[in-house]
Amino acid sequence: MAEEKYPINLWVNEERYDKLQKANLADMCAEKLAGMKVIQVFANDAQKDKILKVFPTAKFDTATTRSIELLPKKVKDAIFDKVIEKQNPDILDDFLSAY
Amino acid sequence: MAEIGHGGKEIVERILEPAEAAEKIKGLKAIPIRSQIANEVIDISYGWFTPLQGFMNKADADGVCRSTQLADGTVWSIPIIFDMTEAQISDYGIKEGDTVLLTYMDNPMAIFEIEDIWSYDMEDMCQCIFGTADQKHPGVLRTCGYKEKFLGGKITLVNRPKINPPYDAYFIPPLEMRKKFKEKGWQASVVHQTRNVPHTGHEWLMKGAWAQAYGGLPIEKPIVGVLVNAIIGAKRKGDYIDEAIILCQDELRKSGYFADYNHMTSLTFWDMRYAGPKEAIFHACIRVNLGLTHHMYGRDHAGVGDYYDPYDAHRLLQSIPKEKLNITPVYSMNWLYCPHCGEITNEGLCGHKKEWQKFSGTLIRSIVMDGVKPPRLIFRPEVFDLVMECAEKYGFGSPFVTDKYLENRTPVFSIEPLSA
Ligand SMILES: [Zn+2]
Repeated sequence: MAEEKYPINLWVNEERYDKLQKANLADMCAEKLAGMKVIQVFANDAQKDKILKVFPTAKFDTATTRSIELLPKKVKDAIFDKVIEKQNPDILDDFLSAY
Repeated sequence: MAEIGHGGKEIVERILEPAEAAEKIKGLKAIPIRSQIANEVIDISYGWFTPLQGFMNKADADGVCRSTQLADGTVWSIPIIFDMTEAQISDYGIKEGDTVLLTYMDNPMAIFEIEDIWSYDMEDMCQCIFGTADQKHPGVLRTCGYKEKFLGGKITLVNRPKINPPYDAYFIPPLEMRKKFKEKGWQASVVHQTRNVPHTGHEWLMKGAWAQAYGGLPIEKPIVGVLVNAIIGAKRKGDYIDEAIILCQDELRKSGYFADYNHMTSLTFWDMRYAGPKEAIFHACIRVNLGLTHHMYGRDHAGVGDYYDPYDAHRLLQSIPKEKLNITPVYSMNWLYCPHCGEITNEGLCGHKKEWQKFSGTLIRSIVMDGVKPPRLIFRPEVFDLVMECAEKYGFGSPFVTDKYLENRTPVFSIEPLSA
């Protein structure tokens, strides 16, 4: 079985959508839950464990969505900016290396 | 006519009027209590905890631990106990047979007639109630933090709490609640236990339970209602603030997602123990006293972490006969969003399993934290706007509990000087 990957949902508000459009990355958004735009950054087990350790408010939603939730807004903004910078959602190793 | 509560016992408010109270407390030793105990004093005095008339003596607490019942055989699943250190007992010079005055916020609150002073193996108690003695379990942590001695005996309120806005409209004790149900003509009523701001998954849980509670009753006029009973007590950082919970639950009715004739919001003071199945039984007991006929249970009711199987609570409830616990459990399957159906649907109904998009309270909190307004199918716009208003008005800018909120919030209730 493939290793499970755990999404971090970067919900795209207008401000984030503007940034994506400017970077020509608006296509990167997926639609979830009746039309909400989201960019999903996926963590493997090791990355998930590190995130939960470094950011104590974060929670892994085991029961329902199996996603990493409740990261502080500024952390999610930083992850989002990294995605824009690298033009790719595969940025977690890079992002976590600072912690 | 007597109102009969849990265990077939009459619900009696144990409350003195001010003049009598002032007389009765004269000369009594004053003992300050913490918020958990103050909450439970209210629950005892107004009848939420019927048939309990006070804090448990050893025989009752031991019965609860050993066999989920009081000494007289009434089903009960969580010890309601008053703790004190040995040193405090000796400093106050307290002995069995004494009557003392419990104070809160430096004002008189209740008379405590001490019948029994006892101790217990707390690790054993935790194993019995929580199924674990792991200190990472928040209920275990609380229980093992109790002082080493317990005082059992009757409680009588001498000073009614002043419930502060915006909670005041939602403080509806058992006898008053039963009157309201009669006024509304509800022949069946189902309770939704919550500590959450509602998303549409919760809304549909309630709507589904309403239909289940309707069962075979006639439909010519509305005779079934949903009672939201929010648990108000100790908060953890990151929870929704209490003001947002209670007001947003009521907003579903005010904005017409429910109606006056089928929905009501209220609160119960209680510090959650997260005891999973045992807490599920306990919730049923207090809702019997509130006059409800049905109780909603989703998966992992009152659980925490992965200490309990999601359906442990259902199995324990099913093992207790109706004559011992007079409320009908309504088990709820999860509601979710199906993009194919284009609506909120139920995992027991929709066949597009591969397309399902599940959502949880946690996910919605994350969306709100990202500054995104979810679509109305997922989160009602009136509720969203009210959450944001509550953040400004009560939450110091945040709809979630912060250190600042914990330090500066307006207390849910106050005990004021006794005015005789
Ligand atoms: Zn479907």
